[in-house]
Parts: sequence; structure tokens; C-alpha cells
Amino acid sequence: MRNIERGIISFLKKHQIALASIILALFSLQLALTDKREGVRGGILVKNILTAAVSPLQRLVIGMRGAVAGMWNDYIFLIGVEKENKSLKNTVLSLQAENNRLKESVRLNESLGKILKYSEDTRFNTVTAGIIGFNIDGWARTITLNRGLSEGVRKDMGVLSPSGVVGRIFDVRDHTSIAILDTDPRSDIDVMSERSRVKGVAEGNGNGAIVLKYIRQTDDVRVGDRILTSGLSIFPKGLIVGDVIKIEQGKDSLFRYVEVRPKVNIQSVEQVLIITDRDFSRN
Amino acid sequence: MKEFLIFLPLTILYLALKSALFPNIPAPDIPLIIIFYMALLRASVEGVLLAFIIGYVEDTLNGWIIGSTSFSLVFIFLAVHLLAKRVHFSTPTMKGGGAALFTLFKGLTLYIIIRLVNYDVPFPGSIIFQAILTGVFAPPVMLLLSRISAWASPGAFKGSEN
Repeated sequence: MRNIERGIISFLKKHQIALASIILALFSLQLALTDKREGVRGGILVKNILTAAVSPLQRLVIGMRGAVAGMWNDYIFLIGVEKENKSLKNTVLSLQAENNRLKESVRLNESLGKILKYSEDTRFNTVTAGIIGFNIDGWARTITLNRGLSEGVRKDMGVLSPSGVVGRIFDVRDHTSIAILDTDPRSDIDVMSERSRVKGVAEGNGNGAIVLKYIRQTDDVRVGDRILTSGLSIFPKGLIVGDVIKIEQGKDSLFRYVEVRPKVNIQSVEQVLIITDRDFSRN
Repeated sequence: MKEFLIFLPLTILYLALKSALFPNIPAPDIPLIIIFYMALLRASVEGVLLAFIIGYVEDTLNGWIIGSTSFSLVFIFLAVHLLAKRVHFSTPTMKGGGAALFTLFKGLTLYIIIRLVNYDVPFPGSIIFQAILTGVFAPPVMLLLSRISAWASPGAFKGSEN
């Protein structure tokens, strides 16, 4: 009996790495495969700890990025001009850094003013949020926002900018949230063609574009058509999603392959609006 | 254990800075290099756990399918650990080549998981470029990691790379 026990213990010791790997790999696979559309399960505490550790750093870095980039460019420019005069150069540098900071503030104010005006013009309630992180690795297309549960943000709320639809809230923590962009494969927005009113579902292809699903071979959709939200999901009717850039036959005989270029260039957006309304039937 | 406590915050810091500073610029897969290094030179159950946690952190911070990167990194840890018994990843070329190969492997496993959960996406060509970048950066990064390990526990790992 003892020999068997010893054998088992020796086997476990000998193969502990392989066994631990197999157990954790299967656990991970189970997490991934049973978590199809949500991506969030348990681990709220872990996520909040992670966010609390990471988001202040992201806020700081995002805030400083513009000013530092400007200062760096000016510094490079100045090296050849004022090489001997160190004190003057330092003065110029500090003034330019100050100038950059002020310019950044003015630009931020303009951006905020624009989004606030848009927010006032809309017929639904919104919360303004700043982008503190972009995650566009591989297939994922997400942004981290500086608004969370405490500011009234909830899962599946729509996110937009004055240019059009950005995406939807996917995961909410206490003071931050993650939104999946309309170009992420997990995104699905009910849309329609502005011209022909043909309806479909816009899904991201994970490659920076949007694909219109369920457009039949006989449906009247053309290159250049503007695609709007249809009002059937989390977005009110009539928000711009993008423009049709490519139409192909499709893999089957039923549906066509329709590619849409998103209207919002997320890289140039700093603030977004989160739609806190849930009922758009009055619109 | 010390590597675990050092490399985990380093990875979190790297992922946070990457998403805020250079989200658009192709970058080497540093978490994968860390796992490759751990499986090659510090293979232990803590290493497996580190692979799982780093994957979970990556999925959480990127808002990606929870479990997909964990699966990929744990699988890679085991594969590198087993492969290292037959192949000697001792030269920079072998380390770089191995890291590049496993970056492609990570991309492939993630792609298979995405297809399994029914998302119709193409395999992005950018992963090949990222694999090359990871391969180029792997030898110096691994050297840096071994320096950090040695600095964290002087004497304990003296000469252990041989």
C-alpha cells in the first residue's frame, strides 16, 4: 500500500509542472468557451484591484502625453538653434512647456465644449467620459473610460462621440469602465441604410472595419450608403455608424458581404458620451 | 517566488503604459517573453501560475475574452518546458526564434478560441510582424530578466542559467 502511495507521490512530484499546466489550461479554456459574449465573470475584486492600480497611472500618462510630445518636438527643434545659450534655452524650454500646457488646456476645453454642446443637443441623457486607455491588440478593440459604477455607468450602455457611434459599455468597475468599439468582433449594433432603410446588424471584423450581417442578395445597399442606428437596440435611431465601402457576393447564396468604414476615428477622440437612457421608444 | 512577485507587477506596468502611451505602435509581446523565460530557465509550478495570472491580467486590462490569453500562455509554458528538454535554447538566435515561433503559436491559439466561440474574424497579418519583433527583442529582454532575477536574489541563482 505504501509503495502505491509513494508511487503516486513520486509521479505527482515528477510531473507537477505538466499537471498544473493541464489543470490551469483546462480551467482557462472553460472560462473562455463558456463566456461567449460577456467576457466578465466573477473576479470583480481582482478586477477592481487591478483597475485601482492601473487607472491612475493611465490617467497620468494620457494627461502628460500631449504636453511631453510637444516639449520633445520643441526640444529637438531648439538643439540646433540655441546650442551655446543654455540658460536662454532652458528659459525658452520652460516657457514652451508652459505654452504647450496652456495650448493643451485650450484644446481640451474646445474638445469638452464641443462634446458638451453635442450632449445638450441630444434628446437623451448622457454622461461625459474621458478615454484613459486604448487596447487594440490582436482582435480586441476596446477603450478604457474614466467613468464607472459610481458615476451611473452600467453594462451595455451605448457610447458615442459627436461624429457617431463609438461602441458599448462591456465591463464596469467602481470608477472606470471598458467599452468595446464598434470594430470589435463582439460588437453587434442594429443598423439601417439611410437611403434604402434596409436593416442589418453591424459587427466588427477585428481588423478595424465593420461588417454588415444579414444583408440579402436582393437588398438595396450600395457602396457609399450611410449606415445609421435603427433604434432597435441600445442606441437611439439615426446615429451615424459609418459608410459602406465594399460589397461582395458573400460566402453563401443568401447574404452579401458588406463592409463599412466606421465614421469615428477613435484615435482622434479624447472624450465620449455614455448614453444613460435605456428606452428610446419616444424617439 | 521572487520572480513571480517581480515579473507580475512589471507586466501590469507594461500593459498599462502600452495602452496609454503607444496603443497603435506594434510592440514586442513582453508578457510572452517573460513566460518563455520562466519556462526555459525557471520552470516551476509558480511559473505555471504566473502564466495563468499574466494571461488573466492581459485579458482583463484589454477587455478581451477572459481565459483566452491565460489558456494560451499556460499552454506555451508547458510546450516550452517540454521542448527545452530536447532543444537547447542557449544562443540568442534560438531564443529569438523560439520566442517568435511561440508568438505565432499564441496568435494561433487565440484565433482558434475566437473561432470556437463563433466570432467570424480573419487571422491578422500584424501577428507575423509582432512575432518578428518579439523574436528580435527576446534575447536582450531575457538577459535583462535574468539580471533582475539575479539582483533580486543574489547568490540563489548564481550560475543557474547553465
